[in-house]
Amino acid sequence: MKRELITALSLTATVLVVAYISTLGGGLGPLFSDTRPLAKVFLSTTLDPNKPMFTAMSPEGVTAIVWDYRGLDTLFETAVFYLAIIGAVAVYRDVSEKVVLKGGGVGLSKIVKLVTKLLIPMNIAIAISIALHGHLTPGGGFQAGAAMAVVPMILIVVFSRYFLLEVKISKGLALALRSIGLIGIAFTVFLPIIIALISGVNSYIMQNQVKFGAPFSFPAFFGDSLISGSLILYNLFELLAVTFGFSILFLLLSIEESLVKEQMGGEGSEH
Amino acid sequence: MEVTYLLLALAMLFALIATYLAIVEKHLVKAVVFSAIQSIAFTLALYLLRAPDIVLVYLPITVGIYPAAILFLIKKTEEVEQP
Repeated sequence: MKRELITALSLTATVLVVAYISTLGGGLGPLFSDTRPLAKVFLSTTLDPNKPMFTAMSPEGVTAIVWDYRGLDTLFETAVFYLAIIGAVAVYRDVSEKVVLKGGGVGLSKIVKLVTKLLIPMNIAIAISIALHGHLTPGGGFQAGAAMAVVPMILIVVFSRYFLLEVKISKGLALALRSIGLIGIAFTVFLPIIIALISGVNSYIMQNQVKFGAPFSFPAFFGDSLISGSLILYNLFELLAVTFGFSILFLLLSIEESLVKEQMGGEGSEH
Repeated sequence: MEVTYLLLALAMLFALIATYLAIVEKHLVKAVVFSAIQSIAFTLALYLLRAPDIVLVYLPITVGIYPAAILFLIKKTEEVEQP
């Protein structure tokens, strides 16, 4: 009883302190009422053709910051995600996903399967639109990849892992597609340097638009459509990398533990 | 403006309760469900704080992918936390 009282009192105190600091205390700064100076800098330059040295040619400030102003941060985040997936693949290196458990592969009921069949195309369409519109509206490569990664997860849960094997979505394919995404990102990062070396001008790594002393620029428009230079490429390749990164994780995690232990040897197979 | 603050406060209070329940719950599957409920409340709060980019990534990760990954892991271990 005393323990519950202390818990309740400390939780209430935490709520009150955090609420006071974040609202009346002004700890979060001008919430909803005013734009901060740093935000003003980004908002005034993110889509302004009259400031060619500073603009990212994208109306979506967040994507512009993520892939242009602070591009290297995102590049290293992608590298961290890449290494995490590689870790999972390394742990499961000796396990074959092709082995079938007796009595497995049924999945959930017909109703759930039908509803899933209707929802999956919508999910894919939304994910692709989040990626392709990432430089215009809220969204981007990682957001789209996360939305798309739900598809293999639902397929595994509803139709079982063996359904994915039947339609030839294997760990190898997912690894290959993820690698294409990562190679695409690396290619887009180094493309300004390659073009600069060929044409004999200066450029920077991950350069999107013209910078001082570096006249290289990705095309901001494709026909009449605003594509914001390298941002649409990064979003598309990140979509591939994140989707199939998570897919590998689910393909590996969904292998039955008894099969994993059987194949790995180790402590599980001793008894 | 006041409505936004009120909804924000409600969402965070909801999140706090869900977090507390997720921590004290001994049945791990229920704990994951509480954690997902907390994430839904956080999603609402992030939307009210005008961060739609974060909402788009937070929703699939914390309501879809993270509970699924944890459920796969729970299936590989034990459903109830041992004292």
